[in-house]
This record gives sequence, C-alpha cells and structure tokens, in this order.
Amino acid sequence: MALVPDYPIKTARLRLRPFTRGDVDAVYDYRRRDDVALYLFDVALSRDECALAVRQRISQVALAREGDKIILAVEHKDDKNLIGEVSLIWRSQEARQVELGWIFHPDWQGQGFASEAGEVLLNLAFEAGDMHRATARCGTNNVTSWRLMERLGMRREAHFREHKLFKGKWDEEYVYAILRREWRLSRQQEQSVPINRA
Amino acid sequence: MASLKLPITTDQLVLTAFERADLEALGSYLCMRDAQRYIDGLARDRQDVEAVLRQMCEQINLRRPGDTLTLAMRRKDNLELVGHTCLRWSDATAGQSELRFILHPRQAGRGYAHEAISAMLDLAFDHYNIHRVFVRCDGRNHHSAKLLEQLGLRLEAHYREHALFQGEWDEELHFAILDREWRPSSKIRHFPPRVRVA
Repeated sequence: MALVPDYPIKTARLRLRPFTRGDVDAVYDYRRRDDVALYLFDVALSRDECALAVRQRISQVALAREGDKIILAVEHKDDKNLIGEVSLIWRSQEARQVELGWIFHPDWQGQGFASEAGEVLLNLAFEAGDMHRATARCGTNNVTSWRLMERLGMRREAHFREHKLFKGKWDEEYVYAILRREWRLSRQQEQSVPINRA
Repeated sequence: MASLKLPITTDQLVLTAFERADLEALGSYLCMRDAQRYIDGLARDRQDVEAVLRQMCEQINLRRPGDTLTLAMRRKDNLELVGHTCLRWSDATAGQSELRFILHPRQAGRGYAHEAISAMLDLAFDHYNIHRVFVRCDGRNHHSAKLLEQLGLRLEAHYREHALFQGEWDEELHFAILDREWRPSSKIRHFPPRVRVA
C-alpha cells in the first residue's frame, strides 16, 4: 500500500513538513557539527553538500514502492525554527517493513521533541501506511537515540558486535523494533480511562 | 587464500568435498521442507538436487569475498553422508563470514553438528583469518539454538516477524562469535570461578 500523507503534520508543539530550498542553512547548522556526524554514516557536511541533501529531500515525501523514503523537516510550531529531520524508509513491501530514522539539532535536545516526532512516524507507518513492523538502529554509543527508541515502546532485537567497519573502526550496533499490534496495544492502554473500583 | 587441505577429520566425522555420487543421500534430507530454510537453493525434485550438488561440488575453497566453501559431513566409520556445512565469506574488509549447517534429522543427537561446526570455526579463524562468524537459525529451532550457545556463540539478534517465509511470519535468531572469543589469546588470563565466601 502506498503512503502519501497530507502535510504539514501537526503535533502539540511541532510541524512536520517536506523540505524546501530555503532550509539549507538550517540543515547546515546541525549537519556541519562533528557531535552530530559522529553517529551518522556521513561525515560532517559542507554547505554545498547540505544544499544537495536538501534538494534530494524535497521530493522524498511519499512511499510508492519498496526502497522509497519520506524525509521530513521538523519545525517548532511557534517560532518556525527547524530543529531536525525524521525519516521513514520502506524496507519491504511484501512483509510490510519500515525503518525509522531521526537527526536532531543538539541545541533542541532534551525537551521531548524527538519523542513527539517519533510518535508521528509510528502513527504514519502503522495507520496510513499499514505497516506490520517498524525498526530503527543506531550505534550502541548513541545513548540518546536508543533511549528514544525505548521511550517509543520499541524492543531491542539485536546487539551486533564488530559485524562491520564504521569509519575505520569496529562497529557495535543496536536494532530496535515494534510490531503494529504492540504499538496499538500500548497506545490503547495509554488512552483508556482508569477504572474506579468501589 | 592459501589452499585448503581436505579432508578434515573430527572424532566421528570426515569433512570432504561433495561428489556426484552423493546425489541420493543429499536428496534424502535436502528435499525436506524444514531443511530448506537457510540453505541456498530450493530443492523439490531430483533435478533441483542435481543443480545444488553440481554447485556444491565446486565450492571447495574461499578465494574472494562472496565465495562459499561447502563440506560434506560423512561418518568416519562408513563414510555415510549425514549432512553438510557451508562457510560464506560475506565481507572481506571487516572479515565477516556466515556459517550454515544442515543435518539429516535421522542423524541428530550424536554430536555430529557440534563436531562439524567446531571444525568449521577452527577453519574460519585459523585458516581464513576471519574476524567474526555468524549463524542464522529459525526462532523455533531450539536444538540449533542450544547447540550454538553450547559452542560459545552469543545470541546477537532475535528478529520477530521481520519477513515472510513460505507465507508465514518468520522469526530469526542471529548467533555470532569473534576470533578472540573462539580462540582467546594466551595473554588473557582466565581466572577460576570465584568461590563465594560466606
């Protein structure tokens, strides 16, 4: 099933929307940083590389076939500050698998924005996208990222040790996952009203 | 890679290359539905088995990444074929290799798989200088999982419903072992288990 969401997607404090050509400086502001690049496959990007990345992202707004990506800018509702980006990659059409990803500006971390955006991704994946399972992965040293996965209700399914080289060093990686029924169940429980017992 | 001296002998087995004459014996376990899970090539009839056998007869060394080494497991006393085991060189820069094994169900419970895998790990680490060997197995295959744990492999991943296999949701386990875990260096001192003093 194809996934073509309506934009922007609004949450309590955020707007998730496709990238535009005007986002280059805002993206450069976090992608230039070594403390951000540390956990990414890319090294810190130059402004030109950011411009190219943004240009690619402009059209990455829907999932039509396996391998497609949705990459959205996350901005603060009030001041329109671009605080990061989130992604949804269609890994398998047959088995309805999707991979989640996120990069947030360190200046905006620690306020629950990533959780809020992450909930949007899961909602997109499991409701409109009709996916069966969502995964996310990160280096074991990226503590903020895997703690976010745990906050989103994902389970740690894999801990790979020295399974590949990452930027010239042995890589250690976590893979987290959540099934649609697990996601539905946990969200139902949150919404249900506690029963008063006499 | 240096040439490989065959056969390899263990307590009860000889590991050798496959021969054309193995067709009947190979077909007797390869055509079983459960056998086809993690072995290359679906085999349903004699023609399929012939094709698989022809391929495996050529897999007698690892020369470049992507190559597979396949060895027949034969009983030492009567040279009966009881199963086979493969080592695929999946990544050269990071020294990664995947090990697979299959045993005729009739031959289970005699330690054949244990001996064969152990010999293959020696081969991977000592002869081919592999850094990490991983083994995948079905989540419901408790015998294999137990065997791999006994051999000292770590459970690195437990994927739930990550793919469809023959129309059903698949559950997959990944076990792995690093060279230094299989063959600890003589520099590492092993302390005896601590005795609790009340």
